[in-house]
Amino acid sequence: MESFMIIDINLIIEYLPVLLQGLMVTLQIAAISCCIGLVLGTLLALLETSNNRLLRFLVKIYVIIVRGTPMLIQIFCAYFLLPQIGIYIPALWTAIIAIGLNSAAYISQIIRSGISSIGIGQIEAAKVLGFSTADTIYYIILPQALRTTLPSLGNEFVTLIKDSSLASLIGVAELTKQGNFVKSKTFDAITVYFAIAVLYLIITSTISFLVTRLEKRMNIHAQD
Amino acid sequence: MLKIEHLNKSFNTKKILNDISLTVQKGEIALFLGSSGVGKSTLLRILNNLETINSGNLSLDGKPLNLATINSTHTVGMVFQHFNLFDHLTVEQNITLPLERVLKKNHTDAQTVAHALLHRYGLSDKKDKYALQLSGGQKQRLAIARALAMEPKIICLDEPTSALDPVLTNYVANNIQQLASDGYIVLVATHDTDLLKKLDCTIYLMSEGNIIEKAQSKELYNNPDAFPRIKKFIAGHE
Repeated sequence: MESFMIIDINLIIEYLPVLLQGLMVTLQIAAISCCIGLVLGTLLALLETSNNRLLRFLVKIYVIIVRGTPMLIQIFCAYFLLPQIGIYIPALWTAIIAIGLNSAAYISQIIRSGISSIGIGQIEAAKVLGFSTADTIYYIILPQALRTTLPSLGNEFVTLIKDSSLASLIGVAELTKQGNFVKSKTFDAITVYFAIAVLYLIITSTISFLVTRLEKRMNIHAQD
Repeated sequence: MLKIEHLNKSFNTKKILNDISLTVQKGEIALFLGSSGVGKSTLLRILNNLETINSGNLSLDGKPLNLATINSTHTVGMVFQHFNLFDHLTVEQNITLPLERVLKKNHTDAQTVAHALLHRYGLSDKKDKYALQLSGGQKQRLAIARALAMEPKIICLDEPTSALDPVLTNYVANNIQQLASDGYIVLVATHDTDLLKKLDCTIYLMSEGNIIEKAQSKELYNNPDAFPRIKKFIAGHE
């Protein structure tokens, strides 16, 4: 009970608009990065399961580099490197692109495993029926691969939301950065970080809940 | 008429099909009988461009069959051993999706075709179920309906009874016989001797990639001693 007393509810209420402003930026980073990650990750997974050895090799290299280096370093690289090659974009977009590219590597491996889990019989049936390769991928392979990998993809999106806090280190005014701002004004680190943690928890729990619901809905198809 | 001449197929150095030649008429059932690994399924897979050939010629009604493009012409339909239905789609969608995406039919026309086929195969009440929810027999009927929807001239059935309860053999045989009555060229690969007893067909006994004996089912039952190898195979599987 004593530990609860050190949380200043009034301070949270007073600075909630500032934190919510940061939360909106966090959601913006997460949503757009997630789209980049999903689209690029799917593409990488398809390339990695293709018959082209060069493409498979290049995807593998990309995945090794991205998974083998910290996301913070990747964000810094994008932040300092892009202006060096004449690309000037706001810090927010630098963070979105860096996080999206990072997420794509992880998502590609999740979807690749989903594609691998689909029996060759499905692809043969599509071929015999005369489906084009693109239609086989779009109508037969991907829907089944995404269904089997939904729990892992849900985890990846939750991770992505938490990782978006790294954008604060290049000056993006997302939730953590806004929290730091409030902390520097109020000097009440515990209350501020408690409030930030609760906001992150609400968002990640909501995503987990929605993914579980979607998963259950999809599993209904498998029940008699 | 389907004509296969001097068909050869090898996997590396292993000969799978050795100089296979045969002719199957419209409305005829050609039943390839043999143990596992004798090449009967490979023959059906070749006709569906799922395997390539080393040499040989195929023709349909006197015109050469180009195996490389056979899938886009919808000449051959395949009912797989394990059906290979699209489990994430409903029963109706399993038929309408290929019609819409491959034959470019509009949704209403595709549904009309699907409903007629589902009615014919007793699956009308299952149209909104997912393929995964069907029983083995229902899955096979859907697989046949899906193949027929593409209006092929040749229907291949790979081990049509192996994934089903033995009591369904009669039902499967009736369905296969009906396909022949409807004018399709029907090719069946099986090791199920119960099935061949229920079909009016031409039996090709295969061993190590060769056709070692051929018999008309009626002749076989009138005079089994004239076909000693088929007789021996049947006796060994009873």
